[in-house]
Amino acid sequence: MSDPDVIVVGGGPAGSCAAIVAARAGLSVVLLERGPFPGSKNMYGGVVYPRILDDLIPNWWEEAPIQRWVTRRATMLLTETQALTVDFRTEAWGKAPYNGATAYRPDFDAWLAGYAEAAGAQVLTSTTVTGLLRDDKGAVVGVTTDRPDGDLRARVVIACDGVNSFLAKEAGLYEHTDAKHFTLGVKETLALPKEVIDERFGVRGREGVDIEIVGCTGGINGGGFVYTNLDTVAVGVVLKLTKLAAQATRPEQIIANLKGHPAIAPLIEGGEMKEYSAHLIPEAGLRMMPKMTTDGMMVAGDAAALCLAAGIWLEGVNFAMASGMYAGETAVEAVRVNDVSAKGLVGYQRRLSNTFVLKDHRKLRRAPELVLSDRVQHLYPQMMANIAERMFRVDNPEPKPGLRRILRQERKRAGVRRRHLWRDAFTGFRSYG
Amino acid sequence: MIAVVVVRDGLLPAGGAEAVAECEGRAVLIGSQASVAAEALHGIATQLTLIERDTFLPGAIADELAALLANEPIVVLPASPDGRDLAPRLAAALQRQLLAGATAVTADRVDLVRNSGRELHRVVPDNRFIATLHPGARGVVPDSMLPAPAIKTAKSSTSKVVDADVIAVHPPDPATVDLAEAARIVSGGAGLDGPDRMRQLAEIALQLGASVGATRVVTDRGWAPHERQIGTTGVAVSPHLYMAFGIAGAVQHTSGLGDPAHIVSVNTDPHCPMMQLADLAIVSDANETLDALQALLS
Amino acid sequence: MSNRIVVCLKWVLQAGEPDDARFAGVSPADHAALELALQWAERTGGQLTAITVGPPQAETALRDAIACGASNAVRIDAPLSTNSADVAAAIASAAHDAKWVWCGDYSMDNGSGSVPAFLAAALSASQALGVTNVTFDDSGITATRRVDGGRREVLAVHAPVVISVEGATARLRRASLTALRASTTAPVDVVVPIVAMRTSQHTIQPYRPRARALAMPSGANVLDRVRSLTTTGTAVATHHEVETLAPAAAAARIVDALRDWGYL
Ligand SMILES: Cc1cc2nc3c(=O)[nH]c(=O)nc-3n(C[C@H](O)[C@H](O)[C@H](O)COP(=O)(O)OP(=O)(O)OC[C@H]3O[C@@H](n4cnc5c(N)ncnc54)[C@H](O)[C@@H]3O)c2cc1C
Ligand SMILES: Cc1cc2nc3c(=O)[nH]c(=O)nc-3n(C[C@H](O)[C@H](O)[C@H](O)COP(=O)(O)OP(=O)(O)OC[C@H]3O[C@@H](n4cnc5c(N)ncnc54)[C@H](O)[C@@H]3O)c2cc1C
Ligand SMILES: Nc1ncnc2c1ncn2[C@@H]1O[C@H](COP(=O)(O)O)[C@@H](O)[C@H]1O
Repeated sequence: MSDPDVIVVGGGPAGSCAAIVAARAGLSVVLLERGPFPGSKNMYGGVVYPRILDDLIPNWWEEAPIQRWVTRRATMLLTETQALTVDFRTEAWGKAPYNGATAYRPDFDAWLAGYAEAAGAQVLTSTTVTGLLRDDKGAVVGVTTDRPDGDLRARVVIACDGVNSFLAKEAGLYEHTDAKHFTLGVKETLALPKEVIDERFGVRGREGVDIEIVGCTGGINGGGFVYTNLDTVAVGVVLKLTKLAAQATRPEQIIANLKGHPAIAPLIEGGEMKEYSAHLIPEAGLRMMPKMTTDGMMVAGDAAALCLAAGIWLEGVNFAMASGMYAGETAVEAVRVNDVSAKGLVGYQRRLSNTFVLKDHRKLRRAPELVLSDRVQHLYPQMMANIAERMFRVDNPEPKPGLRRILRQERKRAGVRRRHLWRDAFTGFRSYG
Repeated sequence: MIAVVVVRDGLLPAGGAEAVAECEGRAVLIGSQASVAAEALHGIATQLTLIERDTFLPGAIADELAALLANEPIVVLPASPDGRDLAPRLAAALQRQLLAGATAVTADRVDLVRNSGRELHRVVPDNRFIATLHPGARGVVPDSMLPAPAIKTAKSSTSKVVDADVIAVHPPDPATVDLAEAARIVSGGAGLDGPDRMRQLAEIALQLGASVGATRVVTDRGWAPHERQIGTTGVAVSPHLYMAFGIAGAVQHTSGLGDPAHIVSVNTDPHCPMMQLADLAIVSDANETLDALQALLS
Repeated sequence: MSNRIVVCLKWVLQAGEPDDARFAGVSPADHAALELALQWAERTGGQLTAITVGPPQAETALRDAIACGASNAVRIDAPLSTNSADVAAAIASAAHDAKWVWCGDYSMDNGSGSVPAFLAAALSASQALGVTNVTFDDSGITATRRVDGGRREVLAVHAPVVISVEGATARLRRASLTALRASTTAPVDVVVPIVAMRTSQHTIQPYRPRARALAMPSGANVLDRVRSLTTTGTAVATHHEVETLAPAAAAARIVDALRDWGYL
């Protein structure tokens, strides 16, 4: 068999999209996936935003193996005994062209890989890439795998091997990697009858709910989420790795606490645990991103730290799909003009920069740090919840206090300095505003 | 209904007596020292045909028995190794339906165990069929009031059907006994904290004269070779003593366990199935218990 | 004289995932059969044909076999829940000149281990079923199989023969990357069975053990009697107590019990 034009490593969303684009343009593509099928071992929280697929797979919503369409998004601030929720719902997200959906990754990733195969890419599973092949000038010319006779050469290698990509590291694209740039996501999937989920979450049919939570992770900085599937509910937490290591708390314990919270417990009561899984998240965005190309190779998706993890957003799949597509397009371009050097691959960086992929990251570059900061994590939820509690409390015969007074008192009580509050508000505004 | 039971050295196979009981006492015993085996069927058999034969050759025996059984609409064999070897050959020779792995056989209904013991398939059989009955499925109590069975003997005939040549039959050998035949098994599951624990388990097993077993989680992790896996997709065992360290007791595992006289389970979860099965169920850390056990035994 | 070697692979859907081909596959026993068939083909210079009776998705099992070294592959088109005698008849008609047929001892779903025996009958071949160990030599194959009571029967087998092996007999080699790539486009012959294949008719219910006839329990006390009545194969034992012990105490308790029971 002749060598392919492109090797894609990893059958996640980034890898499959890269393979689809390159194969449809007529390149010969081999996609290597270590699992028994694409997506078999992949996990995430649970919501995909596949708008980026509109061109690649027209009317994807008619085909995609989704669980529920997200028509309700809530952000919750929790303290041990309080919950303050901003809750939004819209009918618009429940109809074509839809917005976001919950889906199981083994379903979604396998479905997407099916398009790569249909486009002519060779999808080889149960095959782990173990290293890079380089020529004498150091350019990447292929990969080694764990199979006998397992070296494979190609014009371009697209590394989509996920977070902590050892291919990107082996290629020297990461200057340094640091544990403080990662969070650990852990999740439990709990089985409940569909009708029970519908009733508890106030949805019908294929409607679903996405809840992001701050202040539920004890002393460890992070956040939580609750997502509805058809007949399961995903409950998880995202935890700052360095803090987790410093404190000897087990992630299971933090999920257990979240599940026991008075605002969460009634939602999931009686749910039978079907699965427990854990995975790293590249959290630091721009701060940790590698060089995207080297001679003969590009990096996409989580392998390039393109996951957007910024508080009320935890989006990685759409960033992975987009970057994979752009890497695929760039590979096509480079092979056509016969220049697969880093110079020939510059189109990739350009595509990332000119689209939401890097624009969102630039805009939100301070968000991860802000969201994981001690104040946002430990002080603000308490302060906000106390403010809400006092506003809604009726203290007769005392008259209602003015909002300004409550604010000042609660800020002081929480130990938040006015200067910090302003600064954080400003950062928040610049990022999210 | 009539049972066909293969006899070796005068011994009935597992499930042999049950197959005879399922057929209300009518049976053909074929093999070496069939008459000795017949004595073990007192109180169960009513009518026996004995065929003395020194080697077990499934193709030839099926050919021989075909004529004898031509007018028997229902033939039941125990689902022991020899019964399972012979039954399809009989079905082929008699041109009949085979219903393998039954828990109950009657003329108008056969229950079959399927999908690793999870399902029961209820079949309405053809008029004439062959079935194999799972050993242990029905049980049997000899009736001491039953008169001795009527015994006929038949001659083994010759057949042109070719079988493999039997070179030897080895008795169970305690020295080379493998997991499937081990009388004592010490087994490890996902509750163990690393591959070294399996080596430790092997040392403890040596002290106890036991073999080492494992669950699929352990073999999948590569902590033990696949041939050590006990269960539906591994080896079926039948020890007297089974010691489970950090094993949950999933049905795929326990369905391969046979029927041990004594089960010990050490697990941190008092409610898991293995703890329910155990004669001695200890809630404790399996790893530390192994350390302590090793110290005690050496 | 043909020296055709055949391996029969059953592509099985995983219990609990009945509609999902992603979780389907071939049993460890069939993998062991494939490995031994490959070794035998290498030794004798024969051609190995992989055969399956099943739907189009089952071709993945055949392609995997080709990737591991099978020379060609045949799929006999039929639904999965087909009668064992018919499966064997269909395989026999596609492989009437086969000399060495390798099978797994049981299939994972409806496993009765009967396809290999039916196949032997249909091919007028001898059989060696439930084999735990094989050795190859110049005159043929010596196979050891499990028989009643933990005994082992050693058979000298000569062609034509059907051998069914347990999963632990051999571990399947890993396909090379080149062979794996080539296998994705390798041709698979599709054969329509000549006779109508019967699918089995049955109603399905969760397994419950049949009420067992048991002798009057002997034993000095209630505990022993209950113990003699309850075994793992039937009901859950309810007689025991769960003890919570520190590791050292647990080990001591185990040693005591082993002494009581006469193992030490
Ligand atoms: C707890 C948690 C919750 C999350 N929630 C969300 C969410 O709700 N929404 C969202 O959009 N994103 C979410 N994310 C982020 C999202 O999961 C990732 O951003 C996304 O999966 C990245 O896709 P990818 O294709 O780059 O990598 P991956 O999905 O990680 O895929 C990498 C693939 O490469 C394969 N692979 C790896 N190494 C090798 C090798 N050496 N050889 C061969 N194959 C290899 C892997 O098996 C895998 O299939 C979450 C992440 C976590 C951990
Ligand atoms: C088609 C199919 C076929 C299968 N075939 C087989 C088979 O042949 N054999 C087989 O074994 N399995 C088989 N399985 C898998 C089976 O379903 C179970 O997953 C497996 O048996 C579980 O193994 P385990 O008990 O080691 O692990 P787990 O289920 O993870 O249980 C681990 C146990 O260890 C305990 N534990 C944890 N920590 C400690 C500690 N420190 N000290 C003490 N105890 C601790 C836990 O409480 C738990 O009970 C099969 C599954 C399928 C779907
Ligand atoms: N549909 C099938 N296609 C190919 N081989 C089969 C099929 N069914 C059974 N076999 C072979 O027969 C062995 C025993 O299967 P069974 O008789 O169904 O328990 C399997 O391990 C296979 O080798």
